[in-house]
Amino acid sequence: MPMSEQTSLTRPPESEARAFLTAVLAIVWKDLHIEQHTRQTISVMVMFSVVTVVMFNFALEANLDAARNVATGLLWATILLAGTLGLNRSLAIERENQTVDALLMAPIHRNAIYIGKVISITLFTLALEAILVLLFIVFFDKPLWRPVVLLVLVLGTIGYVAAGVIVTSMTIQTRSREVLLPVLLLPLSLPLVLPAATAVAAYMFPQLPDWGEVQSAVYIVIIYDLLMLTAGFLTYHFVVES
Amino acid sequence: MIHIHGLVKQYGMNLVLRGVDLEVAEGEFVTLVGSNGAGKSTLMRIVATLLQPSSGYVQIGGWQLPQYAAKVRRHIGFVSHQSLLYGDLTAAENLDFFARLYRLDNATERVMAALKKVGLFARQRDPVSTFSRGMVQRLTIARATLHEPDVLLLDEPYTGLDQDASLLLDNLLRQEHENGRTILMITHDLTHGLNLCDRTVILNGGKIVHEISSREATAAEFLNLYTYYTRNQREKQHANE
Repeated sequence: MPMSEQTSLTRPPESEARAFLTAVLAIVWKDLHIEQHTRQTISVMVMFSVVTVVMFNFALEANLDAARNVATGLLWATILLAGTLGLNRSLAIERENQTVDALLMAPIHRNAIYIGKVISITLFTLALEAILVLLFIVFFDKPLWRPVVLLVLVLGTIGYVAAGVIVTSMTIQTRSREVLLPVLLLPLSLPLVLPAATAVAAYMFPQLPDWGEVQSAVYIVIIYDLLMLTAGFLTYHFVVES
Repeated sequence: MIHIHGLVKQYGMNLVLRGVDLEVAEGEFVTLVGSNGAGKSTLMRIVATLLQPSSGYVQIGGWQLPQYAAKVRRHIGFVSHQSLLYGDLTAAENLDFFARLYRLDNATERVMAALKKVGLFARQRDPVSTFSRGMVQRLTIARATLHEPDVLLLDEPYTGLDQDASLLLDNLLRQEHENGRTILMITHDLTHGLNLCDRTVILNGGKIVHEISSREATAAEFLNLYTYYTRNQREKQHANE
């Protein structure tokens, strides 16, 4: 006789969506608690970003106009590079003590692990971006607090992390993961960064806003997010099981 | 409870398991021994739903793997020489996380009861990274049995434990066996755990070469058997080479 699908300890069967959500929240809860105890992910990302922005500020100090013109590109470059640090750290936690095996043996959908990771790393990256926005206002005098700019930052981060979790889950098992991750992820992020940088740049120069261009750029970012999340949903279980 | 039939696992040209057949009855404690490279960990990872076989199949409680892996997972507890615990979380937070993953009722009460059972209640707020190897292994048992699985899989659980910690682990495993749990343990260390089990199986070169009931042989007799079967296999391999 097959064992029953439920033990006496577990809650009565709940809808699959509710079970999925419970698992996602458990993963996020765990990642936030680890970060609360160690502060290793956000602090490394913030330190890297501050050093990068300060260095560029000094390097371009002689030509303030040039600094303002490249500020959008610098913002996204800093987010992408700091993001790889956050992705590597967050996924490496699951390799220490082989905790990924415990996750894979738990009675949860594989994609709950994927979505949980995307949410927690997105939260870490958004915390970094809050600090970066302040830094760019101070150093480059750019109006980054505008709602549309913040929306593009949030949407761009979701797409980048959605792609990053899949790529990092593959590279984390290799010896050269620190090198492989940016080599694979940065080209993959190009279709996201170009429109995102365009949208942010348009709002940084409000005297020359091309609203149609901004709208198209935001749509491309949304499409990229949906594509990456779908690709993640379809491939994550193959990646973690292989 | 566990039915393994014709299990083969191949990595490229390397044949790790060569047709393993094994039955473990409900409530039985079976120890699988073998030298390094015998295929023990590969076999355990397949039973634990972490790997898929090249051919053959595993059934647990009537559910065949890998098709029904999702249903079986709720009924399996897995202890390995790796703790599968988060070093940066406290003992209580680790168990609380797994209680959430398994959607257990009365999670807090169960976590506290599990910590008491393994003697770590007083250290519940300490990060696991500050624990000794023996304490980590006791917490690992608490994690693996938190959802009261029907089947407990143990992969080299005595690795790195000192004498006292090994005795504590012996007692915990004895309790789990008395509670009626089906236990499959693999080890290459013949000094621990053999006195606890009902049956011992020798795996060598990816095949089961001998099975013996614990009542049928003393430890010294078993050691002779083990040496005979593993040496015999090595000599055959050398002859083939």
